[in-house]
Amino acid sequence: MRLRFTLNGEPQELDASPTASLTEVLRSLGLTGTKEGCRIGVCGLCTVLVDDLPVSSCLFLAPCAEGRQVWTVEGLARRDPAVVAAFVEHEGMQCGICTPGQVVMASAARSELGAGAAEAEIREYLIGNLCRCTGYQSIVMALGSVVAG
Amino acid sequence: MTVEPALDARLAPRPDAAAKASGATLYAADLPAPEGLLEVVLVRSPHPRARVVRVSTAEAVAAPGVAAVVTAGDLPDALAGRRVRDMPLLARDVVRFSGEPVAAVLAGTRREAESAAALVEVDYDELPPVLGAERALEGRPGTVHDAPWEYPGAVAGEDAGPNVQSVVAEGDRAGVAEALGRAAHAVSAVYRTPSGQHGYLEPHAWVAVPLAGGRRLRLWGTTKSPYRLRDQIVACLGLDAGAVEIEPVPLGGDFGGKGDVVDASLCAALARHTGRPVRLLLRSAEDLAATDARHPSVIAVRLGCDGSGRFVGLEVDAVFDGGAYAAAKPIPSVNLHGALECALGYRFPVFSLRSRVAYTNTLPKGHMRAPGAPQVVFAVESAVDELAAAGGFEPADLRRRNLLHDGDADAYGHRWPEARGIQTLDAALAAAADAGDGSLAAVGTGVVGTGVAVYARPTPLPQSTSLQLGRLPDGRLEVAVPIPETGTGNHAVVQVQLASALGVAPDTVVVRQVSTGSLPRDPGVGGSRVTVGMSAAVARLAEAWREGGGQGTVSVEVPAGSGAPALAYCAQVARVAVDPETGELRVLAVVTAVDVADIVRPRSHQLQIDGGTVMGFGFASMEDLLEDEGQVWASNLGEFRIPSAADVPALRTVLVTGGRGVGEANVKSVGELANVPTAAAIANAVFDATGVRIRTLPVTAEHLWSALQERAAAAAGAGSLP
Repeated sequence: MRLRFTLNGEPQELDASPTASLTEVLRSLGLTGTKEGCRIGVCGLCTVLVDDLPVSSCLFLAPCAEGRQVWTVEGLARRDPAVVAAFVEHEGMQCGICTPGQVVMASAARSELGAGAAEAEIREYLIGNLCRCTGYQSIVMALGSVVAG
Repeated sequence: MTVEPALDARLAPRPDAAAKASGATLYAADLPAPEGLLEVVLVRSPHPRARVVRVSTAEAVAAPGVAAVVTAGDLPDALAGRRVRDMPLLARDVVRFSGEPVAAVLAGTRREAESAAALVEVDYDELPPVLGAERALEGRPGTVHDAPWEYPGAVAGEDAGPNVQSVVAEGDRAGVAEALGRAAHAVSAVYRTPSGQHGYLEPHAWVAVPLAGGRRLRLWGTTKSPYRLRDQIVACLGLDAGAVEIEPVPLGGDFGGKGDVVDASLCAALARHTGRPVRLLLRSAEDLAATDARHPSVIAVRLGCDGSGRFVGLEVDAVFDGGAYAAAKPIPSVNLHGALECALGYRFPVFSLRSRVAYTNTLPKGHMRAPGAPQVVFAVESAVDELAAAGGFEPADLRRRNLLHDGDADAYGHRWPEARGIQTLDAALAAAADAGDGSLAAVGTGVVGTGVAVYARPTPLPQSTSLQLGRLPDGRLEVAVPIPETGTGNHAVVQVQLASALGVAPDTVVVRQVSTGSLPRDPGVGGSRVTVGMSAAVARLAEAWREGGGQGTVSVEVPAGSGAPALAYCAQVARVAVDPETGELRVLAVVTAVDVADIVRPRSHQLQIDGGTVMGFGFASMEDLLEDEGQVWASNLGEFRIPSAADVPALRTVLVTGGRGVGEANVKSVGELANVPTAAAIANAVFDATGVRIRTLPVTAEHLWSALQERAAAAAGAGSLP
């Protein structure tokens, strides 16, 4: 089926299977910053923004993106380089496989959490973005610095 | 020469950080598809043990997009393995675990291959599975392999008994029995730990491209040790030594789980069979239920002390469930070297250890972060607490009386010039007692308690490796390394070391992993040896570069290091709250004290401690693959739960500085320390809070509630006696 949406600020039109996930479609476009992880909406590796809200793109059928604004980590890194800089500065990563999803969450956290967010709120906010390497401390610090602006 | 890292280099950002955070880093599953690629989907056995009667592929072969359906008969009769070659690429006549691949479907797209895989019909003749390591070692109800001693690399002979992968025995069992007979206080208990997964979030992924009509192969994939894997693939498929080249790829987490010998060998064989590039991308659930996992254990401990609290003897008898194949285990003993570390940190006049690994019809088990140590240290450090309770000692004080001093010999007779267990334990206790730490003062609902545990691990000597240095057209230096960036920051460590050795800014040094055809040798990432090993090689490389006037290209190949290993301690204090009504366990805080020498890159070092502690916390309180009747029940990341940001306790680290380390960089390893003592510290804290001793992990609410109920019933029963 024909699918039209805005991807990282640019109009996009393509053919997609009605049962394709948004993860599949994005990765087929070469946007491999969106990773395939658990495929059940638990790990957060595939997090993208749809109309400014974070979604697990593995559970989001591509046809549901019709007419919407989709931002992936690649687009957000260009639109919002301060988020990338915060993860570099606080070293909110080790292997980096979860980092794109964490960066997308951090970008959304500006509006969703706001500047005064407590550490416990940040940790709850990240509950759907697993990391096996870091123990989360440095990710929470990176996200905290993003929302503090 | 000694390489003293410059401060600016030590604090420089990770060179790979910006690319990772902006989604630009390409992992194995992200690489552009080669021309003519076939996607591979594996048909896996649903049965833990069965004869394969018939595989019907006709319908799948006719399905849209399918290029081939491959079964064992189509491939060389080859066995794969890292030390023991005991696992077929595809099951031939029998399947030995639920999840074992029986057929491979190759198609133009993954969807086509998945649809066709559902059309492959396999007739099985089910057999009673061999389950439970202890029963397996008695040969009940049969044997997993007919003659495992005949496999290339097998270490257990026919006389070892049924279903033995490996037996390691050390010490003097009769001597321990005699010593314990004279002990003023003694305990004897059995501890159990479950099957678990490494929890890396990147599933295994392989691409194999045939060249020269299949005589040569290039592979990209998820491996921590490309050079060894190359040799293992060549051995498995009977190829020429130079026939396989493994290309550089960063890993999305490892923790010991990215050895990949079977997946990579299978892809190589499929590429040769079809003459086309092939790609195997495991789904996450498939990765959890069918790739190597942590060994479940049953560990019997006997420990005694004299009236003043000095240990008189320790006996550890560990039985590990090795699963259906030993192929994933990388060390010559085919055992778990961490099991031997149960006795390193203390003085034991007499000691015995037996570590047996059994074949069963379950998921093959491999090495996971300090393999064997989280299991045995949970057992021994729990037993130390049980002995403290039995003898009326304060748990930390009992440890203090027995920890090694400088120059003491461990239970194996090895003398350690430096042994800082007491300082490390005291540092952890002091930090935990620090009233200024709000997190420790936070008392939850229910009863609270504190527990300690200690672990000692040797920092190994460097193994033989190789590096190359040249200059890029833009003037920066480029160092070619044989190791993948597994996530630990090992490339950043090389950057810091080389920039410091040459006195240049770190951002003028580029670290690049190169293919196995580009450097002569390397042992791979593992065994907490990368920082030590790279520091020796970097020092030689910097010397050679200067001698050559800083021009052209210089290569170094360094031999395995000589000299003395060092002992590093890690002590943890856990503070918990238990709700006696529900059994809910909340781990409020874990304080980790680490015995360190020089630290090359402080942030990488700290992240290894934080991540390790959280992994230890997961092992203690939530992680379990729920293997039962030969099936993995927790086969997705919703059911095999690893800690989220909201689960983890408050973490605090104390570094006990000034130690003497190993090698040019004077370091003590840190990657496999903090994940080890956590489970015992938490179980000991639960005992402190409730008086209930938990000897089976993980400490779930259900488990703890039942134990609390049993204790209450026993107390009521005792109270009703006349």
